[in-house]
Amino acid sequence: MSLPEFKLLRPRTVDEATGYLAKYASNVRVLAGGTDLIPSMRQKLFEPRYVLDIRHIPELKGILRRIEAGVEIGALTTLTAVERSDFLRQHYPVLTEAARTVASPLLRNMGTIGGNICLDTRCLWYNQSLTWRKGCGFCIKKDGDLCHVAPGGSKCWAVFSGDTPPALLCLNAEIEIASPAGRRRVPLREFYTGLGDEYRKLNPNELLTRVFLPESSADYIGIYRKLRVRGSIDYPLAGVAVVLKRSNGHVADAQLAITAVNPAPLLVKGVLRLLEGRPIDESAAEAVGDLAARTAKPLTTSALTPEYRREMIRVFTKRAVLAAATN
Amino acid sequence: MNEFSVIGKRIAMVDAAGKTTGAGKYTDDLSVPGMLVGKILHSPYPHARIKRIATSRAAKLDGVVAVVTGKDARNPYGILPVGHDEHALALDKVRYVGDNVACVAAVSETIAEKALELIDVEYELLPGYFDPEESMKAQTDLIHDNKPHNIEKDYHHVFGDPDKALAEADCVMEGRFIANEVTHAAMEPHSTLAAFEIDSQTGKPGRLTVWSSTQVPYYLQHKLSLVLEMPMAQIRVIKPLVGGGFGGKSEVIPLEIIAAIAARAARAPVKITYTREEVFWAHRGRPRTIIDLKTGVKKDGTITAVKARVVQDGGGYCSYGVVTILYSGALLGALYDIPNIGYDGYRVLTNKPACGAMRGHGTVNVRFAFESQLDEIALKLNLDPAEIRRRNLLKPPCVTVNNLRVQSYGLPECIEQVVERSKWRERKGKLSRGRGLGIACSHYVSGAANSIIRSDMPHSTVNIKIDRDGGVVVYTGTSEIGQGSDTMTAQVAAEVLGCSLGRVKIVAADTDLTPIDIGSYSSRVTFMAGNATLRAAEEVKKQIALAAARKMDCAPEELVFRDDLIVRGDDFGKGFAGEGARATQSEASVSGHVEGQILRGSLQQKRKDEGPKDQMTFEEAVVAAIDSHGALTGTGSYAPPLEARGGKHKGAGVGPSPAYSYSAQVAEVTVDEETGEVTVHKVWAAHDCGRALNPVSVEGQIIGSVWMGMGQALTEEMVWKDGMLMNPGMLEYRSPSSVESPEVEPIIVESIDPEGPFGAKECSEGSLAATIPAISNAIYDAVGIRLHECPFTPERVLAALRALKKSKHINLTEGVDPAAPTRFREHGGALCFRGKGPERHALDPGRREATVEAGGDD
Repeated sequence: MSLPEFKLLRPRTVDEATGYLAKYASNVRVLAGGTDLIPSMRQKLFEPRYVLDIRHIPELKGILRRIEAGVEIGALTTLTAVERSDFLRQHYPVLTEAARTVASPLLRNMGTIGGNICLDTRCLWYNQSLTWRKGCGFCIKKDGDLCHVAPGGSKCWAVFSGDTPPALLCLNAEIEIASPAGRRRVPLREFYTGLGDEYRKLNPNELLTRVFLPESSADYIGIYRKLRVRGSIDYPLAGVAVVLKRSNGHVADAQLAITAVNPAPLLVKGVLRLLEGRPIDESAAEAVGDLAARTAKPLTTSALTPEYRREMIRVFTKRAVLAAATN
Repeated sequence: MNEFSVIGKRIAMVDAAGKTTGAGKYTDDLSVPGMLVGKILHSPYPHARIKRIATSRAAKLDGVVAVVTGKDARNPYGILPVGHDEHALALDKVRYVGDNVACVAAVSETIAEKALELIDVEYELLPGYFDPEESMKAQTDLIHDNKPHNIEKDYHHVFGDPDKALAEADCVMEGRFIANEVTHAAMEPHSTLAAFEIDSQTGKPGRLTVWSSTQVPYYLQHKLSLVLEMPMAQIRVIKPLVGGGFGGKSEVIPLEIIAAIAARAARAPVKITYTREEVFWAHRGRPRTIIDLKTGVKKDGTITAVKARVVQDGGGYCSYGVVTILYSGALLGALYDIPNIGYDGYRVLTNKPACGAMRGHGTVNVRFAFESQLDEIALKLNLDPAEIRRRNLLKPPCVTVNNLRVQSYGLPECIEQVVERSKWRERKGKLSRGRGLGIACSHYVSGAANSIIRSDMPHSTVNIKIDRDGGVVVYTGTSEIGQGSDTMTAQVAAEVLGCSLGRVKIVAADTDLTPIDIGSYSSRVTFMAGNATLRAAEEVKKQIALAAARKMDCAPEELVFRDDLIVRGDDFGKGFAGEGARATQSEASVSGHVEGQILRGSLQQKRKDEGPKDQMTFEEAVVAAIDSHGALTGTGSYAPPLEARGGKHKGAGVGPSPAYSYSAQVAEVTVDEETGEVTVHKVWAAHDCGRALNPVSVEGQIIGSVWMGMGQALTEEMVWKDGMLMNPGMLEYRSPSSVESPEVEPIIVESIDPEGPFGAKECSEGSLAATIPAISNAIYDAVGIRLHECPFTPERVLAALRALKKSKHINLTEGVDPAAPTRFREHGGALCFRGKGPERHALDPGRREATVEAGGDD
């Protein structure tokens, strides 16, 4: 499968990059690590006239600690760099755990944190070659007008399959978005739409530049658990991130987010209510698991049956909560 | 002193350096001047008649040199003489999504792909058949007009009196087993480069050279000749390095013929390399199989009879299907002593890519069923699973009830070894909850005793030529596909000739240069081409011995060839005992190398001075032989003996082999009872390969077989929805990664076969089949669930666990019970529903269901 023809743009600054984005608007795709974009372009899911290669913008790389203000991670920082950062491991361990499970070591050397946040939603009926998609009559996310996953529906259910976003949601991460008009900062939880096709709120002239982890989220116990068939390479089929803080053996604060079972990574609401002020035991963990499973809406977008994946959200949540409690 | 100097040594593959440094060239690495890129247009429909193909818009695109369709080569072909049902490019019908319709040859891949979009094909849709049991009921719209009920072939074999024996058995176990479809997933996708020379007399395309990633260059040459209507002598097939075959390259794959058709039309060389998705469409892997199995035993565990009904979901073309369905029945025999066998096998056509031969051809799925059922019986009779296997051993030499001749039989020792090393007696059934051990056995042919081309031609022929400086060139038609056939050939030649391995050069798989060998499949190469090499080497050796004996003043029979020296038998100990002999050897080779042609004169001078010699170097003897009778060449061939060729019943040709390999395995697994995830911790795998010519190679094959078997047992599965393959890529078709690969302890058992070269048998396929039931049996030991459907994905395992506990039943596998499966499971979701979706015939299963289920839940 050939790559479609395109013109490669190589900006050196964010301003230059957003200038290009504004200029070419809907006819441009951003390339960071390329691990998601390039295969999709070969499958003709994207045939942009321009590819904006942002890998040569130095200010987008690296993990920077801000005194009393948490940490700032450049969008181009590789997942390997995130995984290996001692600072992150000590203060934001849930992110380290999540980054470590993404794809395989080779792909983590290429893939970036920004790319993982912006990861296109996935579906077995969508991530296929042009010939294949033609054979199935296309789908609502690309070139078609129906969804094979929810027959009769007009909504796209492609599933968000990033590993780091649930961890970042638990950490109340914010992201910086640059455009020719300047830069804005938004909570990550407001970045995703919950739709499979238009899955993120990012205008065509905007670029994700940084991730901020607040100081107040530091030093939480953090666990990420991922359902996959193979021990490497696979996207999550269900994923659970949990962070919690204890005082005197009781839970003082907790957050839980799930991924790969909805078109967006989701914070599960009401977790703290179930855990606050209590020591964590099996039944408390199970209650949280049930809650998470109710939030999950897995469909036949992926391998393994939806029923099983929902069940695993329950089990993995319970285990993650218990693991966090005994950490 | 060792019996052998090259055989039995742990040596590096002779082609290893090229592969590890990148210097080695695979087909897709090749390029010739003026070469074009070929791209194939595939059918988007599972079953349709082609009404019209308009290629003119594509042909006009700048950069397109030729567009070819089925009309450019009308002759049908197929790997089996009974199955000539394929056209490289469809002539009138397409039979699966991905079937080949047209090919564009253009100056770049991008242009070729664009041109494909410009080809207009008008189809008339036909209803598709996706489930074999449904397909068998078909009355109309048959996939092939000459195959009623879409049955490619059915066989009904009765050996002994299975019904009577079952009636008299103390215990009869019956069950349905389902094995889902798996594919080879070789690292190298198929690739072919075809180039015509312009004939000097006519100015038209003349001789054809094809470089291709194939296991069977000779068959490819033959089918090209058939389809292109050219004499075989005008076609040269060369096999460059091949990155794995596993059966997926053991027949002629459409692109190999399409490249030649396109090259002829374009009057320029054309290379086609499949995308991974196209590899899945070309497929020829292991079919989805339904096995209804019934086994009867006496109270002591001895088997009285086995009856099996096997239905294989064969896809749209015959491929090796007739052979597959026969192997499934025939190799019920030759592992254990089974006095009565009943077999009903159905190879069924469906609108999916053709299934064919894959590592363990035909035996694997039935073995999964058989070995699982044997454990169910052992449980019922309260017998140890290892013990029930011991009680059913053959007593070779013998001929089984279905006429398979068994001579060497290392199975008892294989069982003993794995029981011993896994500490089976101490640990089986006594591990902590969730952890278990399972045992299973398997076997395989060392090549088929009857070749698929039904001819009396030897299955392998090897030529050897020795040059004046003692360089040995072996010309063999065998295909090195990573399995080590070049290394085996070099070892056998060096051992027989008593020369060092470095002297031997292998010229292989080039139909202009090498004599006919039917190819690298059915684990035949070591046994058959090994024997042919051995015979060729012995023939040359005889000539050398004659000349040497004259110089040494003794009878040729007295001479011993070893370590680049030729000595008289009575000097045997002396010649090889000390460092002296070794010094002579290295001096000779050094001087030969440095002085080149001068060597001959100096050696002759030396001989004149010294009178009769008591030993000669290999080079001296070679020179003497060439001086006395000219070119030093030899040829050897191998045809299986008549006694090994099996019975006379219909279908008796498949199953017989000159020798069978044997395997026993113990797997240790843990099962997570909350998630259903299975982890394989260790596999002890004993394999009887007759004699290990290169132990490190044998161990590699055993480990690879276990690993591939584990893939089929746990993670690998081609997932279908109305004829669409849902996972045509290495991301979603999940071969195990290194993370979940268990420790494998390979144990070599040597039964020294009386007819194998140096006693060797096959080692690359026989071990695979045991892995799946060994894991299944271990899962039972761990958590008490008996899975009748593989792969044992976590959802299936969990569903079975939930059913066992009768607690909180949730439908985890979409209506299919992995402990008692009835039919194949399709992928969820919906391809077709009212008014929308892909075009399909109104009677297509997807359409039929759609009228009932339309609406959805959202």
